[in-house]
Amino acid sequence: MRRRLRFVLGSEPRELGEVEPTLTVLEYLRRIEHRRGTKEGCAEGDCGACTVLVGRPVEGRMCYRAVNACILFLPMLDGCRLLTVEDLRAPDGSLHPVQRAMVEAHASQCGFCTPGFVMALYALYRERGVARETPIAEWLAGNLCRCTGYGPILEAAQRMHAVAQGADHLEAREAETVARLESWQDGETLAVGREGRMFFAPADIGSLARLLIEHPDATLIGGATDVGLWVTKQHRRPHPLIWTGRVAELTRVEDTGDGLSIGAAATYRDVLDRLAALYPDAGRVIRRIGSVQIRNLGTIGGNIANGSPIGDSPPLLIAAGARLRLRRGNRCREVPLESFFLDYGRQDRRPGEFVEAVVVSGPGPGTLFRAYKISKRFDQDISSVFAAFRIDLDGGRIASARLAYGGMAPVPKRAELAEAALVGRPWKRQTVEAAMAALERDFTPIDDWRASAGYRMTVARNLLMKCWLESSGEIRRRLDLAAEVADG
Amino acid sequence: MGQFGLGQAITRKEDARLITGRGRFTDDGPPPGCAHAVFLRSPHAHARIRSLDCTRALSMPGVLAILTGAELDAAGIGPLPCTTLYENRDGTPMAAPERPVLARERVRFVGDPVAAVIAETPHAARDAAETILVDYDPLAAIVDTGRALDPEAPQIWPEAPGNLALDWETGDAEAVDRRFAAAHRVLELTLVNNRIVVNPMETRACLAEYDPGTDRLTLTVGSQGVHGMQRILAEKVLRIPREKLRVVTRDVGGAFGMKIFVFPEYPVCLHAARILRRPVRWVAERTESFLADTHGRDHVTTVSIAVDADGRMTAIRASAIANLGAYLSQVGPFIPTECGAYMYTGVYRFEAAHYRVRCVFTNTAPVDAYRGAGRPEAAYAVERAVDFAARELGCDPIAFRRRNFVPPAAMPYRTALGYTYDSGDFPRLLDAALARADVAGFAGRRQAAAAAGRLLGLGVAYYIERCAGGSPEEARLELRPDGRLRLYIGTQNNGQGHETAYAQIVADRLGLPFADIEVVQGDTDLVASGRGTGGSRSIPIGGAAVLRAGERLVARARERAAEMLEAATTDIGFAEGSFFILGTDRRLSLVEVAAAAGGLEESDSFQPEAPTFPNGCHVCELSIDRATGVPRIERYTVVDDFGVVVNPALLAGQVHGGLAQGIGQALLERTVYDPESGQLLSGSLMDYVLPRADDLPAFDFDWVVIPCRTNPLGVKGAGEAGAIGAPPAVINAVVDALAGYGIHHVDMPATPHRLWRLLERVGALLA
Ligand SMILES: Cc1cc2nc3c(=O)[nH]c(=O)nc-3n(C[C@H](O)[C@H](O)[C@H](O)COP(=O)(O)OP(=O)(O)OC[C@H]3O[C@@H](n4cnc5c(N)ncnc54)[C@H](O)[C@@H]3O)c2cc1C
Ligand code: FES
Ligand code: FES
Repeated sequence: MRRRLRFVLGSEPRELGEVEPTLTVLEYLRRIEHRRGTKEGCAEGDCGACTVLVGRPVEGRMCYRAVNACILFLPMLDGCRLLTVEDLRAPDGSLHPVQRAMVEAHASQCGFCTPGFVMALYALYRERGVARETPIAEWLAGNLCRCTGYGPILEAAQRMHAVAQGADHLEAREAETVARLESWQDGETLAVGREGRMFFAPADIGSLARLLIEHPDATLIGGATDVGLWVTKQHRRPHPLIWTGRVAELTRVEDTGDGLSIGAAATYRDVLDRLAALYPDAGRVIRRIGSVQIRNLGTIGGNIANGSPIGDSPPLLIAAGARLRLRRGNRCREVPLESFFLDYGRQDRRPGEFVEAVVVSGPGPGTLFRAYKISKRFDQDISSVFAAFRIDLDGGRIASARLAYGGMAPVPKRAELAEAALVGRPWKRQTVEAAMAALERDFTPIDDWRASAGYRMTVARNLLMKCWLESSGEIRRRLDLAAEVADG
Repeated sequence: MGQFGLGQAITRKEDARLITGRGRFTDDGPPPGCAHAVFLRSPHAHARIRSLDCTRALSMPGVLAILTGAELDAAGIGPLPCTTLYENRDGTPMAAPERPVLARERVRFVGDPVAAVIAETPHAARDAAETILVDYDPLAAIVDTGRALDPEAPQIWPEAPGNLALDWETGDAEAVDRRFAAAHRVLELTLVNNRIVVNPMETRACLAEYDPGTDRLTLTVGSQGVHGMQRILAEKVLRIPREKLRVVTRDVGGAFGMKIFVFPEYPVCLHAARILRRPVRWVAERTESFLADTHGRDHVTTVSIAVDADGRMTAIRASAIANLGAYLSQVGPFIPTECGAYMYTGVYRFEAAHYRVRCVFTNTAPVDAYRGAGRPEAAYAVERAVDFAARELGCDPIAFRRRNFVPPAAMPYRTALGYTYDSGDFPRLLDAALARADVAGFAGRRQAAAAAGRLLGLGVAYYIERCAGGSPEEARLELRPDGRLRLYIGTQNNGQGHETAYAQIVADRLGLPFADIEVVQGDTDLVASGRGTGGSRSIPIGGAAVLRAGERLVARARERAAEMLEAATTDIGFAEGSFFILGTDRRLSLVEVAAAAGGLEESDSFQPEAPTFPNGCHVCELSIDRATGVPRIERYTVVDDFGVVVNPALLAGQVHGGLAQGIGQALLERTVYDPESGQLLSGSLMDYVLPRADDLPAFDFDWVVIPCRTNPLGVKGAGEAGAIGAPPAVINAVVDALAGYGIHHVDMPATPHRLWRLLERVGALLA
């Protein structure tokens, strides 16, 4: 057990023994470090005014991610470097290229959102290659500005690379930081707290399992993008907390030969490309979960374990046929993902048990996979209805079908009657229409402020039809291709 | 004109601190030993308070004090005043129920503050607030503007039967009636101006401190002018001499009208600081800001226009219901009446006009100024109604506008509602905007869009607004012997870049280095007087005061220079920061004169004789996806007349920001109170849609300088224009896109859902 939290703030190491487990990084920065450049605009991950960068050494280099400091608990910085807007100016006081670009583009008015934008842009700046593929507006979807109309900020984003000359002062002295952070990688469980309220961060799966047996009432956290809101919005202070983010086995995404084993603590960001390679549609929808900052923190494990009926990854993965691996002590069990969700707020997780991984296999040659996230707004919005379909065709007939929905029932759920209406039949409009009718018996959705029951049902039905419409062209192409290969 | 003079797009003084995280906002740095206030708010839209029991809460750890309405009454703290009361059209006084700082006996909207807990930490305060027992007897609530006057609507105030706060009118009803009777056609349209939650990125916050030695209070607060805040808080609410309260405003993270006002939290924190003899801090959570900030707009208006046989508009009649919320906010009744009312003739030659507004109470957050305040409501009503009339008459809306414009030759022009437009060239700006927007190529683009399953629409709006009227502003200049100049002024920067703009005016006129000029705002101890920022008055009025003070300073220095150069004052010239004897090369810099004089100080004020009338043309091209109803702005062009321009970059910033808010209102922002329970359903940034980076198009913005004739700088004011012109331009484009399907009007916000429903109804959906 290590009783001290260690991280680097800017260029200075910090070691803390007494830490309130749910103290947010934002509060810490503002109240304790008097670094007040980082702002609170909402304390729920919606506005990005609190954006900071968290860096970890990866293969000898620092890898930075923009995150929301408002819902990040301080001990989650263990072994990391935290960069805030105060760190960007060079020691001689000159502005960083990102800041210069902001000034030149007149990208700040009242200045309240500005530090958050500067940091979001700095993350983009550091990720040059990767980020080029992402449209800048998408990259900034997690940052709100009420003054500028965004145009000048987008312009600054275009301009900042041109303004840059070589490595910035932070990059230039990175080796030092890498060495320090690597020297801290000790494999010890971090245990810090205050007045009996504890935060644990085990570094391996065995320690995690043991801790959870010792503290069966502990609250597990992955990225804390849900639990953070319990603290900032519902003013709860759960403890003890056990954080999975240091558990090497849980943060990995592994190739299983015919698919992936996704560790429960892998973030959306970690999973995105790998899952998209298997199922392009999965990539499209994951890219719309929260914002860049939220996807850098939020985990698939957390999205499943929270049991929400409107989480996006459960229906996505259920349709893909994923299985959930749960562990208690040394004992593992695997269940089909859909059977994990028992009822609203109730999951098949026993005391002392945790989600270890979700295992998903790839598509077959006749697999059609589609996923749809329906929300009022494209970016940064919770789904009203989420649907994912995996349909396996065998020469025009439906060999198997998995239709999974979110937002239609108290839990993410398969549409079994609709599936039955498909299996064994040809993939034709009539078949799909029969399945659409069956959906009415599968689900009795509810009215709430996000959507009415009628809307949900209509959307659920229509998404199936949409899938068929979109597929007819694609499948024909694919089957033709298969035929060609067979002929050749 | 130097490099930093007027008209230059120089970068901002403010940026050095704001871009590096060294800005100082209200909550950046509470003093040691600061206590924290948390407010207990009503969960009901309307209820009687049977009892309020704080006993348990008082015994919670860390609790220092709990304040309720009873304590405040006992301490002699008065209600929050409404400073703009009017008479009804029949001459009787309007209903003006008092707004207690903390609700007593009754709560009237969700979020109405009931008690304040002050404790050692925010957590302790919050925990204690949760244990306060309030026994509510819930009552039926009314939230809907259009239904508030219904006889069966729940009644909110005994002093306001039928929920009617004020029935107000202006214009000549009879003259209008005559023209309507004689009209060739009368066109009538009813429209909703949707309620907006202001949402500056910095939520409201305050810090109250008390010095027992001097018995003085200090309030640090994000405001739009410290003097108004000081006067009302001290004289009306706390009832102490004005000099016993210092108000300080540091950096402000956006305000948009809403931060002008005294809100209940401020006197409560001040009183708490006084009784506890400790600093007390309060910061609104975002949810609180949704519930308890003043909101904007929320009108339902019927506009009728009389047109003669030649297609000329002769008279306009508008009748509005304006929602004031549950209480009269500080200038709540001013917004739908005098602030916007006289703009109901727009840029047109109406011979007669009449506007009537019925202001109503509902169980919602109080409504007050929001960027434009009354003028956007007027511009939206006029520009939608004119567009509608043109279409109903089968005219091209652009040609119809042109035919009815007040011509430039008619300037100065007195409108039917009594304003005098000093200058303006509406046809010229219209032409400029149409050319930039390539309206000539629109038909082709529409066809191409149609082929891609999108309905393309073209919307034009020509807004005019009134800025910078009324009260004076004073500027004081202090030129120190070392050449550094300080400007003291009572306007308040909230992001507009005042420090830069004022420094530019000074640099331009006094020839001093831009870097040596420091602008001091936001402290009642340092700045003698001020009327604050609002209605785009800071540059037209504040800037003019700066200019005049500068001229006085030069005049004073000229006398000294004459003595020093041993010449007659009349022989002394001044240029680029130096005095010289005319026709010689003997010169002395202003700084040398100041040094010799041991510093110079001058002040002057400017009181506008008339308001200014910025105006401009917006052209919006918007497409609607026929399968999904999703609207997308394809092009957006604005050409404005703001008179003389001080700094084009600051100006563009103001226009862009205003456009973003106007487009947000037109397409995205929807405030929803549940009609039954009165709960605010759109109460977080997840549920209330503020524009994000990919919701907005690139804006094409240009301006034409038609100097204002009533302002010494020739400027007209630009802070609100974008938010005024955008809503009608966008909705006119939406309607144009759908016009082929017999759709005449779409209410804001034109969300995909609303548009999809319309497409479905008229059979235009692409299946
Ligand atoms: C601004 C914002 C936007 C969002 N947008 C979306 C969205 O578009 N779609 C969406 O689906 N969600 C969204 N969310 C919700 C949230 O981000 C996701 O649910 C996320 O995946 C949760 O992961 P986490 O690691 O952050 O969870 P945490 O908050 O760490 O945990 C969530 C729950 O899972 C439990 N848990 C975590 N790990 C384990 C484990 N290994 N074993 C057992 N239990 C565990 C925790 O105890 C907790 O109950 C959003 C949240 C925010 C703040
Ligand atoms: S404060 Fe708004 S996202 Fe963190
Ligand atoms: S500059 Fe004010 S919110 Fe962005």
